[in-house]
Amino acid sequence: MAAALSTFDLTKDYPIGFWRRRSCRALDRLTLDVDQGEVFGFLGPNGAGKTTTLKLLMRLVFPTGGRAEILGRPAGDLDVKRRIGYLPENPYFYDHLTAEELLVYFAGLFGYGAAERRKRASRLLDEVGIGGERRLQLRKFSKGMLQRVGIAQTLINDPELLILDEPMSGLDPLGRRDVRSVILSLRDRGCTVFFSSHVLSDAETLCSRVAILARGRLVACGRLTEILAFRARGWEMIVADAPETAIARIGSGARRVVRLGDGRYSLELPLDPPPARLLSEVAAAGAQVVSLNPIRETLEDYFVEQVAARQSGTPS
Amino acid sequence: MNGVGTIGVTMAALLAGTMVVQAARDRRYPLPPVNDTSLYLTSGAAARRLTVSLNALAADVYWVRTLQYYGGARRRLSGQSSAAEFRPEPAPSSDYDRLYPLLDLTTTLDPRFTVAYRFGAVFLAEPYPSGAGQPDLAIALLEKGIREQPDKWEYMEDAGFVYYWYRHDYTQAARWFERASQAPEAPNWLRPLAATTLAQGGDRRSSKIMWTAILQSAEPDWLKRSAEHRLLQLRALDEIDQLQAAVDAYATRTGRFPADWQTLIRAGVLPGLAADPTGAPYEIGAGARVRLSPQSPLHPLPSEPAAARPPR
Amino acid sequence: MRPVLAIAVNVFRESVRDKVLYNLLLFAVVIMAGSYLIGQLTAGQDVKIIKDLGLAATQIFGLFIAIFIGIGLVSKEVERGSIDSVLAKPIERYHLILGKYLGLTLTLALNVAIMAAALYAVLTYVRWGIDPAIERAWDAPALDARLLQAVLLILVELLVVTAIALVFSTFSTPLLSAALTFALVVVGHFSGDLRNVQDVVKSSAAQWAARGVYWVVPNLAQFDVKAQVVHGQTVPAGYLALTIAYAALYVAMLIALASLVFSRRDFK
Repeated sequence: MAAALSTFDLTKDYPIGFWRRRSCRALDRLTLDVDQGEVFGFLGPNGAGKTTTLKLLMRLVFPTGGRAEILGRPAGDLDVKRRIGYLPENPYFYDHLTAEELLVYFAGLFGYGAAERRKRASRLLDEVGIGGERRLQLRKFSKGMLQRVGIAQTLINDPELLILDEPMSGLDPLGRRDVRSVILSLRDRGCTVFFSSHVLSDAETLCSRVAILARGRLVACGRLTEILAFRARGWEMIVADAPETAIARIGSGARRVVRLGDGRYSLELPLDPPPARLLSEVAAAGAQVVSLNPIRETLEDYFVEQVAARQSGTPS
Repeated sequence: MNGVGTIGVTMAALLAGTMVVQAARDRRYPLPPVNDTSLYLTSGAAARRLTVSLNALAADVYWVRTLQYYGGARRRLSGQSSAAEFRPEPAPSSDYDRLYPLLDLTTTLDPRFTVAYRFGAVFLAEPYPSGAGQPDLAIALLEKGIREQPDKWEYMEDAGFVYYWYRHDYTQAARWFERASQAPEAPNWLRPLAATTLAQGGDRRSSKIMWTAILQSAEPDWLKRSAEHRLLQLRALDEIDQLQAAVDAYATRTGRFPADWQTLIRAGVLPGLAADPTGAPYEIGAGARVRLSPQSPLHPLPSEPAAARPPR
Repeated sequence: MRPVLAIAVNVFRESVRDKVLYNLLLFAVVIMAGSYLIGQLTAGQDVKIIKDLGLAATQIFGLFIAIFIGIGLVSKEVERGSIDSVLAKPIERYHLILGKYLGLTLTLALNVAIMAAALYAVLTYVRWGIDPAIERAWDAPALDARLLQAVLLILVELLVVTAIALVFSTFSTPLLSAALTFALVVVGHFSGDLRNVQDVVKSSAAQWAARGVYWVVPNLAQFDVKAQVVHGQTVPAGYLALTIAYAALYVAMLIALASLVFSRRDFK
């Protein structure tokens, strides 16, 4: 199956300094593929080059080297733009227009007729949950509402691929949940979604694959499950009805003991030695084991580890 | 609401304070009065450059200033003396000094500003105190206008009229009237006027023809009024001559000059008190010469070259 | 071409909602107050002065709009970031340039049209009750159709200035753009001097430079027929045709330049 989006050694240098002599490499030979129909998370700390990458894909910025293809055609092609949607980071639209007028205007740029424009605008505003406010000028909108308008304008042309820069930024939990559900429903319809974020929990719940960018370089790319599997860091054992003294003894080998209240304790145990041995000790102390689970490394841990390694220059 | 009121009152107090301080400063250190007779710019070429594409508008501004300058000087002078003597020399004071520069600037900014040229033709040449008394400058201004618009018969006619009336140079005047009559669209009274001027320049009759022609053509208001004024003065001259004839005839008959009009009325020579066309009575002055009352608006009467006076 | 129209309508709508058209109120006040005061002052010249004032004000207000909106046409969008969502749509970059130019053209045309109508209204009022014989002696009648020739060339000049401002807008900050555009407008009006520089300057190098500038910098003085029209001289149709053709070619060149600069920019 052809990739929905691919980059080959995509590179961007910015000339800096007073005479523009030196250059700063914002993106260094990025090569990745996004498959059709998947939700792909593009992660990295601030300044890693995520926005630069997305702008290169939209030809808002021109590459110094390498190339990118979207839906089988060169990025920036007009036919490609007709089939995709883009949401910039911190979107700013026209103060003087109402939400409705903005969507109608953008629909006009796609070439839709007058009636079709109005229909689409109306439908999309309903989808993102903007009701009566659609007649207000955008200067009166809150950040969260602007973000919703931003999502709406990406969908005007029923795109096959969405490129979103920080789609959750500025949203309250309700808003994030709404955006999440929009993305999932789009995926269910067969749309490919490529978004950048530094909200890792969103990536965890939405993405099938992620890539991590740090200082312009790709440091990791792959299935979440692969990245996070076999990466158990330890065990968490929750015991109940254990006398204090027993806990002290049992928890001597634990990394951390947290008192949960109600006579319950949470023990964080290392991978080695295997915790089976402890089970008998707990039973001997007259306590109960409520649960025993492996502690998986979170994406955040992985992220921090990878980025730290990158920044200190050691391979992970 | 209280806060707003407080701030409002404070603002009013502060504003009042500024007024008080300004008044005090004005008393103590008055700013020098704006010298409104200054031209701001003396070079026409510089003015043209400075005002770029707004030349015509700048010309309008200078035109307004010209009128105000002239009007101001005129008012000042008529306030000073009501019995000003007729002075043929250029204005002794500087009252009209700026008139020519202002008109020159106006017409450099807008070379087709007809009314400015024609205003200059009259009021630059008009003797003090009604004008600057400088007919040469009037001619210079008109020649500038003719350079810009060689077919403008009005300027040539005005030049002729300046030579006729103020310089008493009837040969030149006739030449200008002839030249004017040859311009396209020139009115048909110019040619006979040229002929008359040449033949009897200065003659009261030819003067009347000229002024009547000016009065009848569609001219600016002030020029019409000027023409009417001139015609009344010519009429007064005629009347003076008639009255003088009556006085002289009486003197010849009785051997004595009449002391006043009553004498003549009693003698049956005159039906009643003689008054000029504006209603001011004529006077018998020293040497039994009939003359215009100094209070008359027609004063001073234009001078006539001796050769042009109708024979007694 | 449809996106160009959509963009143009958006620019027009933005200037209307930014209350640009309120300048018309100021214009109306200026002419009416001016004509009233003038009527008191000027020995029968009020019609000429009203025409001068009306045409000059149309030109000046128009220049202000052309410059101050023109320099922001592109730079405002880039600065605020709205450029990202627009260029993500299936339009060429030069479509944006064309659309912006067309939109400001519409605004200016409407502005100038309303001002011309207001001028004619004031002239009608001033002319009320004046003897036709007197009017015939004037250089030009009060309600002279020739005024429209001057208004047309004023609009053409504004369109050239807009194109200049647009070029600067594609790469420069508003302050610098305003200064440079204004400077070009002034130099453009001094074309006559540049052409005849040999009367003033002796150095041949300077003369060459000045001549070069004359041919390259837009000659805006040729669009100024206000004085002629007010004095009743008709502008020949050939003159109108040639100056408008010059403007069209110059504007096309500027738009090409703006498109070139704009299409190579990175929008970080």
